[in-house]
Amino acid sequence: MKLILNTIRKIDNDQLKEFSFGDDKSLEEKLAASFLNPVDFKKAKLSSSSNVKISSPNCSVIVKGYEDVNVPEGMILLPVSIWSNQLTNIEQGEIKYKNLSVEIELTNEPVLSFKNLLKRIKGV
Amino acid sequence: MKRITCSGCSLLCDDIIVRTDGLFIDEVIGACIKGKERFDQVTSPNRITNPMIRKNGELVKVTWDEALDYTVMIIKKSSKPLLYGFSTITCEAQYNGIELAKEIDGFIDSNASICQGKVFENLLDIGINLTSLTEILNKADLLILWGANPAETIPRLLNKVLFSRGKFRMTGREIKTLIVIDPVKTASFKVMGVRDLALLIEPDKDIDLIRTLKDECCATNAIPEKGVAGIDQDDLKRLLLHLTSAENGVIFIGQALLQPHKNYNLIKELLELLQLINERQSKGRISLILLGGHFNMAGFDHVALSNYGTYGSLQFENKKLKNENTTLVNKLKNEEFDCSLIIGTDPISHLPYSLSSRLAKQPIILIDNKKSATYHLAQVVLPTAITGIESSGMAYRLDQVPIELNKIVNPPSNIPSDEDLLLQLITKLNSKDEE
Amino acid sequence: MELYKFLPKTNCKKCGKPTCMAFALDLLQGKVKVDECTPLLEPKYQTQYNALKDMLGKEEGKQKELRINVDTDLCDGCGICVTVCPVNARYCPPSLSGKAPDYPPENHQLFQVKKGKCELLNLKHCRRLDAEGRERECRVCETYCPREAIKIEYV
Repeated sequence: MKLILNTIRKIDNDQLKEFSFGDDKSLEEKLAASFLNPVDFKKAKLSSSSNVKISSPNCSVIVKGYEDVNVPEGMILLPVSIWSNQLTNIEQGEIKYKNLSVEIELTNEPVLSFKNLLKRIKGV
Repeated sequence: MKRITCSGCSLLCDDIIVRTDGLFIDEVIGACIKGKERFDQVTSPNRITNPMIRKNGELVKVTWDEALDYTVMIIKKSSKPLLYGFSTITCEAQYNGIELAKEIDGFIDSNASICQGKVFENLLDIGINLTSLTEILNKADLLILWGANPAETIPRLLNKVLFSRGKFRMTGREIKTLIVIDPVKTASFKVMGVRDLALLIEPDKDIDLIRTLKDECCATNAIPEKGVAGIDQDDLKRLLLHLTSAENGVIFIGQALLQPHKNYNLIKELLELLQLINERQSKGRISLILLGGHFNMAGFDHVALSNYGTYGSLQFENKKLKNENTTLVNKLKNEEFDCSLIIGTDPISHLPYSLSSRLAKQPIILIDNKKSATYHLAQVVLPTAITGIESSGMAYRLDQVPIELNKIVNPPSNIPSDEDLLLQLITKLNSKDEE
Repeated sequence: MELYKFLPKTNCKKCGKPTCMAFALDLLQGKVKVDECTPLLEPKYQTQYNALKDMLGKEEGKQKELRINVDTDLCDGCGICVTVCPVNARYCPPSLSGKAPDYPPENHQLFQVKKGKCELLNLKHCRRLDAEGRERECRVCETYCPREAIKIEYV
């Protein structure tokens, strides 16, 4: 299912706070999350026990999906974090953080953990 | 008990009261939750307390001499060093950073190049109206939030500009109009009143709104009946009426308007629109303020401008400034570097995968005080004191006003400030040269 | 307020209160009973009278106290309640321009931001208890909190 990805900041999910006080588990709980409109949530057949795989042309991540009525239809929101920056890309020599086109699908694989994410960046 | 300046975000509130005995801070009055977390970093469990070097894949604690010698060795082995960060340190430390880059013929850039720096490129062509927070407090009667969400990122901003009572605005909230333009219904929409305007624009269609307003300024009846970008005709007319008849207005813009586009330059068109409106204004003027993240992002450009006559990134060759116009993104994408020195920031987290994977291929020297994602991939880690609490200096607020940061408690005994550490590195590199 | 909707809204003053809004406020606090509004006993107000009796139920006439609840999980320390409260604005000059008031707090100060969260000091000088006339219906702290963390209730 095609959607538009937008990265937002929320005062509870601030990345700075998580690195200052949290550990790996609290990082994954707070930052590896995505928010969808209830209509899109139903269309993609998501539920609270399954995860969602978000893919962009160069990379993909697996995070948890939640419902939120404030999200407009056709959009998926992620908090600004190391997970959401796997999907941002470069355009015209500058970094594009908002309004990216992505594809989502239901999956039962586990959420991408912090350690695996670092290994992937390092190229191991 | 004394009033000090908080270094939690770029608003740099200078009315915070703390109670301290020189060793610990036990009471904080007036700071929001972001400021409180900044003060808590002094005793945070994730604080780095020793210099570290990566041996056999793991980070181990070493002495300061060993860590500094290893750092100097990495820099000397490289021919194209890259320096990045510089937004969470004082202006004095930023100056030392540029001197270090000159010493090692490096490329230096600050966080502003991926955030606010784009506005300054267009500034020289068209011109911009800047204003200060005191002026907004005393005179503004129109506030526009466009693509920004200060209720979540800078909590006290709305308190200081919208609800406060200034010299010519003594009735406070009732006399001010707030307009919010955003595709998502964020927390900033909750402070709206009856006279205010909430515009839920379609995603990525800000350019259509700007162009329609520009046409309407030059000729009448340019607004189509079915509206533009999801906003209907009545709201557009009201928006233009507020813009042209306000006595003093401010537009706060955020990250959403700084995105790249293929066929047009959004910031340039926005500045042209403001110029048109200010010409037609009968009484006052409309100014622009950029909402940024780190507390001294605006300072790096001021230091570079006053010492080297340029802003943005600097490339040195043979200890002289080279007249090259390249950016951090291009340097990383084309892999034109062979080691990196990161200070006060976390690029592995906030750069896209294509750039962070390239950064991780070369050795990373990290100067920071918490265990971020870059810490887990760094080759050598040098801890420093927390700026604004354990070391003092100058910083620039989001409206380009310089504010003094104070030293409240002493840092742990073996940890230097950023300014001193960079000076130590320059001295060590100079003495090794003479050997 | 929901109770005010069912009153005659004529401000006839037969109950002894200056306005119907003041009567509604006293009804909420349990200081008066529904029967004291004599126009309500007439047949044309039968539905409103029954609705009011249903809404209040057993709580009618029970003395209730004012309580202002601040939810510390939702609060983010923005300080808007400190700036907007009319009592703070009158007795603490720094809060006029959005700055934090002095510490230790002045006698009349209601709200204070401590350790990043809003704290209610004392209710003695709140407008809902201390003032006369329309100022008793003050609800600015509840209306302007962007996180909806402040709730005014009577228990």
